[in-house]
Amino acid sequence: MISIKKKMSMTSVWSRRLFILSFLLPTLALFALFTIYPLIRGLYLSFFDWSGGSETMNFIGVNNYKELFSDSIIPTAIKNDYFLIFWKVILIMLLATFFAVALTRLRLKEYGFYRIIFFFPNIISVVVIGVLWSFIYNPSLGFLNAFLSLFTKNPIEINWLGSPNLAIWSLLPPSVWAGIGFYMLLIIASILGIPNSLYEAASIDGANEWKQFTGVTLPLIWEQFKTSIIHIVITTLNGSFIIVKLMTDGGPDNQTQVLGYYLYQMGFKQYHLSYGATIGVLILVLSLITTLLINRILHRDTIEM
Amino acid sequence: MGKKFKKRAAWGMVFFIVLLALSGCSGAKETNTPPSTKPTDTPKVEESEKPAEEPKISGDFEIQYFVGGYGDAWWKEVIGEFQEKYPDLKIKQSAGSQINEQMKPRWIQGNPPDVVYIDGAGSNETQMVQDDQLMEITDWVKQANNVDGENLVSNLIAAPQDFGGKNYTIPLVFGSWGTFYDASLFEDKGWTVPQDWESFMATSEQIKASGINPYIHTGKYPYYIVGGLLNSGFVAENGDNPQILKDQEAAKEGSFNNDAVKKTLSKLVDMRDKGYFDNASYGMNHTDSQMLFLQHKDAMIPNGLWLENEMSKDVPAGFKFGFIPSVMQNAGGKFIAIPYTSNIAIAKKAKNPDAAKAFIEFIFTKQAAVRWAEITGALMNVKADLESSGASNVVKKAMNYFNGSDTIVAPVFKLNADLEQAQNDATIALLQKTITPDEWIDRMEKAAAKAR
Repeated sequence: MISIKKKMSMTSVWSRRLFILSFLLPTLALFALFTIYPLIRGLYLSFFDWSGGSETMNFIGVNNYKELFSDSIIPTAIKNDYFLIFWKVILIMLLATFFAVALTRLRLKEYGFYRIIFFFPNIISVVVIGVLWSFIYNPSLGFLNAFLSLFTKNPIEINWLGSPNLAIWSLLPPSVWAGIGFYMLLIIASILGIPNSLYEAASIDGANEWKQFTGVTLPLIWEQFKTSIIHIVITTLNGSFIIVKLMTDGGPDNQTQVLGYYLYQMGFKQYHLSYGATIGVLILVLSLITTLLINRILHRDTIEM
Repeated sequence: MGKKFKKRAAWGMVFFIVLLALSGCSGAKETNTPPSTKPTDTPKVEESEKPAEEPKISGDFEIQYFVGGYGDAWWKEVIGEFQEKYPDLKIKQSAGSQINEQMKPRWIQGNPPDVVYIDGAGSNETQMVQDDQLMEITDWVKQANNVDGENLVSNLIAAPQDFGGKNYTIPLVFGSWGTFYDASLFEDKGWTVPQDWESFMATSEQIKASGINPYIHTGKYPYYIVGGLLNSGFVAENGDNPQILKDQEAAKEGSFNNDAVKKTLSKLVDMRDKGYFDNASYGMNHTDSQMLFLQHKDAMIPNGLWLENEMSKDVPAGFKFGFIPSVMQNAGGKFIAIPYTSNIAIAKKAKNPDAAKAFIEFIFTKQAAVRWAEITGALMNVKADLESSGASNVVKKAMNYFNGSDTIVAPVFKLNADLEQAQNDATIALLQKTITPDEWIDRMEKAAAKAR
C-alpha cells in the first residue's frame, strides 16, 4: 500500500518535472542560442583582427582593447551616451509621472483619450519618428524654424541637427517624446493598484495633493519607478543607435556619436568588425555597471500594502 | 495505468517535439553563422569536374549584381544575350538591392559567385582586395579583347584601378563629380558660369548679393564636397598632377601635408569666411540639399553625374542642369574631373573563371555601352558615341568635357574607409570653424599613419 503510494507520488513528481522542463528547456535553449551564444561570440571576436569580410581572422590578443583606450572618439561617445541617459531619465520620468498622476488622481474625464494620445508615439516605428523629426528640424523648410520665425522680425535659420553645439540637444526631444507614453502606462498601472482607502485616510489627516503624492503614491510605486529608470538606461545605451543613425550619422564631426552607432560605423562602414565587437563588450560592461549603480542608489525598503 | 501511460507518452511526445523543433532551430542557425573561425586551410571547394583545358564555355556560372538606381533591365538583357551565345552554360543570377549583405556569408565561407558587380551599400572594392576576395587580373586584362575583337582596356574611359601595381577590378559605370547649377537661372540673372576659382568667387559674390545662397553641400555625407570640390583642388594645386590622389589613397606620408593641400584648404576657408556656404548644409542629407538646390534656395551644389536622374521627379519646369567638372583650378588652369566608378570583378575563388572572363569580354562593347546609357541614363565606362542615344543631356555634356583637351580626368581612386571617414569629419569640422587647416592636415596625417 505504502509502496504503491510512493510509486504514485514518484511518477507524479516526474511528470511534474517533465511538465516544468518542457517549458523551461525551450526557453533556455532559445536564450542560449540568441543571447548567450552571440554574447560569447562577440567577446571571442574582440580578440581578433577581422574585417568582417575575409575568410581569415588574426588573433591579436587585447590589442583591440588597447585601441579602445587610445581612440579619441570613444570618450566623446561615452559622454554623449550618458548625456542622453541623464536627460532622458529626468525628462521622461518627470513627464511620465506627471501625466500618470494627473490622469489617475485628478480623474480627468478624458482619461482614455489622453492615454491613447500619449501612448501613440510608442506604436509609431522609430524610423518614422526619426524621419518626422528630421523634417521638423530642417533648417530651411522645417516646421520648428518656421514656427519660431512667427515671433521674430528676421526668419530664424537655426541648423538644429548640423551645429556642433546644438545637435546632441536636438536628439533629446524625439527620444523623450517617443518614450513618455510607455513609462506613463507603467506608472498608471501601479498607481491604479494603490487602494483608494489610503488616499481617503491621508486626506482625512489633512494631506493635500502634493503631500499625498510624496507620502502615499511615490513610496508605493517606487519599485515600478526604479524599473522604469533602469529600463531607460539600458534602452538608451543599446538603442540610441537608431535615432543617431536616422538623424545625424554621428555628425557633425562626431558631435552626436554614441557607442551604439560607433559600433555600427566601425563594424560595417569602416570594416573593423572585431573592433566593433570590442565596442559591444564596452557597452555591455557600461550597462552592467550603470544598472548596478542605479539599483544601489535607488534602493528603498519595499513597502507592503 | 493505461491512462497514466498515455499521459506520460503524451508528455514525452511534447518533449520530443520541442527538442526536434529546437534542433531544427539550431541547425538552421548554424548554417548561417560564418565558420570564419576555421582558417582557410580547410578548403571545402568542390573540385567539380572542370572541363580539362577545354576552351568551351560551359558548366555553372554565377553572377552577383546589386540592383539600385540603374535597375536590372540592362543586366537581364546582356545576360540573356550571353546565354544565347553559350547555351551550355547554366547561369545563376544573384541580384537585388540587399544582395551584398545576402552574399556576404558565402564570400566569408570561400564559396563566392564567379563575377561580382560591386556597387551599393555594404560593398567596397578596396576592402574586397584587402580581404583577398578578388582575382588578380593584371596580365589578363592588358591583352583581353572584347567579343568585337577590340582591345578591352583601350576602349575604357577610366582604366582599371591600380592597387599597388596590380589590377583586380574593371570600372563598369563611369561618372564624374563636379559642380552643378541651373543654366536657366544663371542666364536670367546674368551670372557668368565659373571657369576657374577667380570667376567662381566673383560669381558667388554676385549670387550672394542677389539674396540667394551661392553654395550648398550635403553636410551629413561630406564626401560630396570632398569629391566635388576638394579633390579637384588638390590636383589643380599639385600642378595638375593627379598623382597626389593616388598617394593619398596609398596613405603615403606627407600626402596630406603639402602645399597643394594647404592652398586648397585656404581656398576653402576663404569661401567659408566670405559666407558662400549655406548654413543649412550641415546635418542635411543628399535629397534635402538637392531639393533646396532645385528650389533655387541655392545656386550651386557639388554632386555626381547621377544627380539629374536621381531628382528627375522633382525637377521644376524650366530647370536646366549645368555641369562644371571643377571650380578650384587657378585662372587659365585645366578642368579636373574626379571620377567615380562602380566596378566589376572576378572572384578569386571563382569556380568557372573561363566563363567569368568570357562574360567580361562579352559586356565591354560599344553596343552594350549605348544600351546602358539608353536604359539607365548614365555612362558605362566604354568610349561610345552617345549623341544619338538616350543618355541625359548633362551626361552628354560631361562626355564632351572628358573628350576635350581642357579637362584632366584623374585616375580612379578610393581612400581606405578609415581615411575617408577621417577626411569627412575633418572637412566638416574645418567648415564649421571647430578646427584650423593645420589641424585638418594633422588629423589626416595621423589617420594616414595609422592606415599604413
